[in-house]
Amino acid sequence: MTRQRTLELSLLLVAGIVTVTGYGLASLGERSSLPANIVPFLVVVLLLLALGHLAIRRLAPTADGTLFPLAALLNGIGYVFIARLDSDLAGLQAVWTMVGIVAFATTLIIVRDVRDLARYRYIMALVGVVLLLTPLLPGIGRTINGARLWVRLAGFTIQPGEFAKIALAIFFAGYLVEKRELLALGSWRVGPLLLPDPRHFGPLLAAWATSLLIMVQAKDLGSSLLFFALFLVMLWISTGRTSYLLTGGLLFCGGAVAGWRLFDHVQQRVSTWLDPWQDVTGAGYQLAQSTFALAAGGLTGTGPGVGNPGRIPAAETDFIFSVVGEELGLMGATAILAAYMLIVGAGLRIALHSHDGVETLLAAGLTTIVGVQSFLIIGGILRLVPLTGITLPFMSYGGSSLLANYVLLALLLRISARDPIVVEQASSTAESTA
Amino acid sequence: MNRQISRLGVVLIAAYLLAFVQLNRIQLVDADDYRSNTANTRDIVMSFTEPRGSIRTADGELIAETVATRDDLERLRIYPHGELYAHLTGYLSLDYGADGLERQYNDELSGGDLDIRIQNLSDLFIDRDRTGQLHLTIRHDVQLVARAALGDRRGAVVAIEPSTGAVLSMWSWPTYDPNLLSSHDLAAARTERIRLLADPANPLRSSAYRERFAPGSTFKVVTAAAALADGTVTLDAPVYAVTDSYLAPQTTRPITNFGGSSCGGDLGDLLRVSCNTGFAEMGIQVGANGLISAAEAFGFNSEPAIDLPDPTASVIPEAGFFADNLPLLAQSAIGQFEVAATPLQMAMVAAAIANDGTLMQPRVVEQVTSFDGTPLRVLQARVDSRPISFAIAQQLQDLMADVVTNGTARSLQITGVEVAAKTGTAEIDGTDGTHAWIIAFAPVHDPQVAVAVLVEGDDTTGQQTGGSVAGPIARSVIEAVLHVPTSTGTPAPAD
Repeated sequence: MTRQRTLELSLLLVAGIVTVTGYGLASLGERSSLPANIVPFLVVVLLLLALGHLAIRRLAPTADGTLFPLAALLNGIGYVFIARLDSDLAGLQAVWTMVGIVAFATTLIIVRDVRDLARYRYIMALVGVVLLLTPLLPGIGRTINGARLWVRLAGFTIQPGEFAKIALAIFFAGYLVEKRELLALGSWRVGPLLLPDPRHFGPLLAAWATSLLIMVQAKDLGSSLLFFALFLVMLWISTGRTSYLLTGGLLFCGGAVAGWRLFDHVQQRVSTWLDPWQDVTGAGYQLAQSTFALAAGGLTGTGPGVGNPGRIPAAETDFIFSVVGEELGLMGATAILAAYMLIVGAGLRIALHSHDGVETLLAAGLTTIVGVQSFLIIGGILRLVPLTGITLPFMSYGGSSLLANYVLLALLLRISARDPIVVEQASSTAESTA
Repeated sequence: MNRQISRLGVVLIAAYLLAFVQLNRIQLVDADDYRSNTANTRDIVMSFTEPRGSIRTADGELIAETVATRDDLERLRIYPHGELYAHLTGYLSLDYGADGLERQYNDELSGGDLDIRIQNLSDLFIDRDRTGQLHLTIRHDVQLVARAALGDRRGAVVAIEPSTGAVLSMWSWPTYDPNLLSSHDLAAARTERIRLLADPANPLRSSAYRERFAPGSTFKVVTAAAALADGTVTLDAPVYAVTDSYLAPQTTRPITNFGGSSCGGDLGDLLRVSCNTGFAEMGIQVGANGLISAAEAFGFNSEPAIDLPDPTASVIPEAGFFADNLPLLAQSAIGQFEVAATPLQMAMVAAAIANDGTLMQPRVVEQVTSFDGTPLRVLQARVDSRPISFAIAQQLQDLMADVVTNGTARSLQITGVEVAAKTGTAEIDGTDGTHAWIIAFAPVHDPQVAVAVLVEGDDTTGQQTGGSVAGPIARSVIEAVLHVPTSTGTPAPAD
């Protein structure tokens, strides 16, 4: 128990030092002077890290010790580059970070056992679907950059989809654990495949239809893909049936091809993905500028504050990864990739060590959200997959994204605290007996 | 469930590793390609508002400088001679990056080049002008003459000093005014750029080094060099039959001479009157490999090593292409069909022959100096290649001198100066017009200048011959370089 917290504390110190040093260097690079508020900045960073750490120490003392420092590091680096790009946004992001860490602690206080949440699974389903669909409502829905993903309420622009994915992960976990045996039952033979009863494909079809609706109505390929992938992966993990994965994959491909044929915005995304150079000043502009930024970075980067990342449209949000790639180079960008890999590793390890079905499934689902979402946007920037406008968890500018991801993190830590990692226990037992 | 979770982990880790590989490709392996991509204006734009060195001709004429302005951008790039040097200096635009020397020498002009930035250690601590000034090999007087001589005809003039590769003049029409593209009035710059891009004559692209044309009979010197090199012909033998048509193998469509005339004889006779039938037969005798290697020795099929961005390579097809197409080989030997050359390339051919077989790398910049004139970098004359032997170069010099004395290039006769030349009249697919070409150098035994002139043809120009149309332009340029008083030559006969 204490080992995890000691580890966490030392890792948090590293994250804090990296953040404050980066903040100072970016200002030196840009204006040849240290930022005037470097000391208050240092104090605030340390206070926020301490708040998070103390919350975990107090509320989930046996929780995993790497996740919060990794998130804090990504949040810190993201902040440094947002501040370097736009000081107004940086002020807002600082507020959102504070709100995020408070929400993180609050989640740990309220949720003592994630299985309590799973009891309200149908309410969660309703909340998730409503959240997903609110941007489509006339009056409060807002379209930004062609995608209808935002809701304007009381002066705030909120992206409800960021919260919907957590609610839906909770719903899937509760629902699938309850129905897994039914869903895993093979009773329908099609050729060599033993498929579950056709009526149990209902939920799969419902999820597919919803994801298509998001793709068509909200014009958001990223959320659509993430939402469907989350459902499919959780269904596959809970039933162990690869046939779901195949059927779901085929359904999504079919939907995607139909979408490509029917909708201009999908077609444009795909052709820009395949060849951004054919329309460098138009549709391919963003990807081309991002690629030029990455190429300008090279191995070690231009240095924080010295590059020219402002040329990339949406640099603070979707393309924050390219900004890091330009100014910190391949080495910095690789560190970011490694941080997400470590988060995925830690998340799945928590899932594997949980003894309860709901917890295992929810941990796997939440990890899938972070892992897939990060890959979708980084892979989009690197042209491995078509570019979809979603945020990079913990790094991109955006209050909804930051808040939701800190809540997600708190849930993962809560799960890990109930079933501490066995190896860890064994070694600390060995230590205490020695 | 655990097996699925482990597999999920493997898939996600694999996805991130894939991202890592792709990141390496973009940031390291292909990074240079992206940095030099023409759509990449990052470096240029970063230096747009910075101090920037001036550009001057060899004779000291200021052709580009940066002046202070009162608007937000603080500094403006201006080109005092407007269109005259547009295809050399290029432009410097906030939205569209840069072209020409502004692009090629951006590091030097902006002072981003480390050698220029740190001239000595104490410079690091004082704030002073660290920009580099470009001094060109171009002569303002020759450039003015080239523009006046070509007039409002589409075409290009390239003059090179054969012994050094220094480009003395490079002019092409149509062109553009770089001041309009470099303007701080971004809307006007945009409108101008759209207008230039929409112009079918493509004024943004220099036809001197970025456009290819059938070189016509000027290419016969390359065919002659190939035939002399492999012993197919000597100065005396063989003697080609006097005929008005030559039928290559594998075809029934004969090659004829200009105006349906008959010609023949030894190499000198063929070159003097630019005899298509004789050279077509010579091309077949030399064979595809011989002709291609001679052309490639002069620089065909590779980008010329000039210090301007994106130079276009002149082309001749591969040997395999000609194997079953001997009629096309015969066409290529007289500079028609798929053979296509930039005026710069043809000037390089003339320069190599003039320089006794040694081709010097063409270059536009003589040296880079600091603001106070201290030389920072002198661009040395460099040997590009030795396309032909000394002996063959001497033979070709005499043969080309004879073309001026007695042949199709009599319009180039200048009192007191011995000139060598070869004319060309290239047919254009789909129109009745012809491109008029000439390549020349002078004085023959102490060459100071090699020149290539192209006057583009179309339906409106009709059959314009190299001797009568391009010849007088080359003559004016040669006279300007040699400081010979202007005169009028003997009227040219048909090509």
